[in-house]
Formats: sequence, C-alpha cells, structure tokens
Amino acid sequence: MSRPFVLFTSLVLCALFVLPASGWAETRAIDDVRTTVDEVLTVLRDKAAPTEQRREKIRGLVRGRFDFALMARSTLGRQWKNASKQEQDTFIELYSKLLEATYIGRIEAYTDEKVTYGDEKTKGDKALVETSIVTSSVTIPIDYKLVQNVTEWKVYDVVIEGVSLIRNFRSSYGSIVEKEGFSGLFARMESKVKELEQ
Amino acid sequence: MPKNLHQSFCVALLLLGLTCLNAGVLSADSLPATDNTEQGLTAEPFDPFADDGADLQVADPIEPVNRAFFWFNDKLYFYLLKPVARGYRIIPEPARVSVDNLFSNLATPVRLANALLQLKINKAVSELTRFIVNSTLGVIGLFDPGKSWLGLEKADEDFGQTLGFYGAGNGFYLVLPVFGPSNLRDGIGRVGDYFVDPISSPLYFELNSWEEYALKGLDTVNTLSLDKDTYEGIKKDSLDPYLFLRDSYTQYRSAKIGK
Repeated sequence: MSRPFVLFTSLVLCALFVLPASGWAETRAIDDVRTTVDEVLTVLRDKAAPTEQRREKIRGLVRGRFDFALMARSTLGRQWKNASKQEQDTFIELYSKLLEATYIGRIEAYTDEKVTYGDEKTKGDKALVETSIVTSSVTIPIDYKLVQNVTEWKVYDVVIEGVSLIRNFRSSYGSIVEKEGFSGLFARMESKVKELEQ
Repeated sequence: MPKNLHQSFCVALLLLGLTCLNAGVLSADSLPATDNTEQGLTAEPFDPFADDGADLQVADPIEPVNRAFFWFNDKLYFYLLKPVARGYRIIPEPARVSVDNLFSNLATPVRLANALLQLKINKAVSELTRFIVNSTLGVIGLFDPGKSWLGLEKADEDFGQTLGFYGAGNGFYLVLPVFGPSNLRDGIGRVGDYFVDPISSPLYFELNSWEEYALKGLDTVNTLSLDKDTYEGIKKDSLDPYLFLRDSYTQYRSAKIGK
C-alpha cells in the first residue's frame, strides 16, 4: 500500500473520529439534564446531611440549570408587555419568592423514585429532553424544554404528562390579572408569600 | 380525579420545587431578565416544541357552580377521604400496589373498548394480552407481569378520549361532585364508560348499589393512600387552586387525546 494512501486514510479516519469527538465536547441538552437530575437525587438521598444544608445544595444546583427569569416572563405571557418596567421587576421578585417559599419543603417526599431517560430532540437553540419517573404504581413522562446559552443548556419549561407548567401558570395568572389587574395579582402573591413564610 | 393526574401533580410539585429553588438567584434589579429583553426576545420565547403556541383558554361559563362543587369536593377530601386513606396506610405499600393493580386489571374492558373504538389496534392487542397475562400469571391481576415481564404499558383510554379523537371539543369546564374536574365531553364519556366498567355495569355480574359504592370507595381510598399529599400541595401552593386544577386538567386531557 502506498505511503500517500496510508497517510490519506489516516487523515480521513482522524477526521471521522476526532472531529465528531470535538463536536461532542459542547454539552448536549440531555447530558445537562441528566447531570443536574442525578446530582439533585444524590443530595436528596443523602439523608445524613442536615436538611438546611441539603436544601442549600439543591438550590445551587437548580439555580445553575433553570433560566428562572425567562420562566417568570413566560408565565406572564402577553401580559408581560402590558406591564411597566417596575411591575415586571416586582413580578419577577414576587414570583421567585413565591415559588421558593412555596415548594422548598415539598421535594423531600420524592427521593426514592427512579428516573429514566428517553430521546432528545433539538431544533436550533432549543431542545426537548424526554425523561420518566417510575414509581411503585405508575410511570410519569416528564419532558424538559431547554434553550442553549453560550456553553450550556438551561431549562425554561417542564411538561409533565402533557401539562406544561408555564402554560398552566400563565393561564391562572392571566385570569387574575384580567380580573384584578397587576395590583390584585401582586396583593395575592404577597399575601401567599407571607402565609407560606410563617 | 384519575390517578395518573394525581401522580402528575406529585411530580409537578417536585419539579416546581426544584425550579423555585432557583429563585434566590434573582434580585429586584434582575439582570438576566433585562438581558433577555435587550436580546429582543418577545415576552414569550419562540418555542418550536409548543403544542399550538396559543394561550390556554378554558371555557368556564358556569364558574360559580363549578366553584361551589369544588368547595364541596375539597371538604369531602379533607374531612372524609383523606383521614380514611391515612388510616388505611397501615396496610403495607406492596399490598396496596397490588390492590391498585387488581382494580386496574378489572377495568380492562373500558380501555380495550375505547382503543378499539379509536381503531388503535396495537393498544387493543396490548390490553388484551395484558389482561390474559395479568389475570393468570399475575394472579387475577394482583401483579403486573404484562408490564414488568413483557414491557406492555397500560393503554390509558376512555370514552372522553374517544369522543375527542373523533373531533369533539372540550365543551366547557365542569366540576363534578365527588368525581372532580371534568368537562362536557369527558362528562359524557364518563356515562359511556359506566356501561362498560365491570364494577358499575350490570353486564358482567350483579352488584347491588351498596357493593358498587363500597368497591369504588375502596379503589379511591387505595389510590389516595399511594398518593403523596398532592392535593394538599396544590392547595397550599397555588394562588387559586381552582384555576390551577382547571388548567392542568384541560392540558392533561388534550395531551391524552393526542396520544
């Protein structure tokens, strides 16, 4: 076999194997989801650690994976444009507080469920990752919707058995804004936050 | 409320729990939001995976009546069903899962009939196979080898979905006393399924109404005993639990019909 041919072949092989490999170096959405979910589960299952410490760890992990500002805006949907800058800021602040105050205590009940991973679909800078939670009696499909940042993927919606959380919140919050205006919505959110913080 | 919906909410709350923890990162001046605005994103980011892109609009012309029944169901849950389910948890979980399997196996005719009505032959064959395997090897349905050995998932079909499959819309939102969230289409579907469900239908065995209620009650309490306080979570967390359930139910059913 001639030397140039061997050289050429090795170059082609290099191109085949090395280039895709460098392409994969940028993370895939499914890997990002898997990493975060696995880490959260690990923390949750570490029952020896103090509760407050575990929550702090989970808070950090989730902060890194969810685009919370985008979620708050999507939740307001059409109403976002009707809101003044100040109202937008107030909303994001309250939304954050509310969700934090509300749900922090609830996650600890679901530590022993098994998570399985399905397909990943990508369109442009958006991705959909399919996962399932397997409990003793049912399997629940959970899809994560992600948007690509510079180096990694951030979750902007979670769809459970076809129910999109953002769409759901948007509808509820939208109804309240239509009937009671932003002041009404904020009053409700504030009293809920107080109620939950007690 | 269907069990899967209950379960969905468990997980919804879990995930929201995770989501909300992210909250602390945002302060009042909220830089990330400002950045997004400057990148020219509209209020709603373009979403290639959205079902139809439209906001969810649920027709609810009889909201006051629905809210009254919602209130009634809420009391029923907290003062009767939940305390009973809590006491019932004394039975070990594997046994309760088996009771759940048993009721599920018994309800096969409903899923099979509706799979056939929608000409979903694969699902119908799967349901029939599951019924035969689970009734024999699975000891009258106490176990689910159809899923654990053969990998056949339960085909969750009902007459409301069949009507939806042939183009029926939601109609309008309904809260049924005792049964909970529904809509015109699914309410009619419920009546259809009543005549196919072995517990309620007189076609299979003669149960007097007392026995029928007892079995339905056991099924409900057993399901609730396997649930992790989902409704309590929704109640505590939502600004308006009525709206939360109304919108979740509507999305959940649309997704089911699409499958």
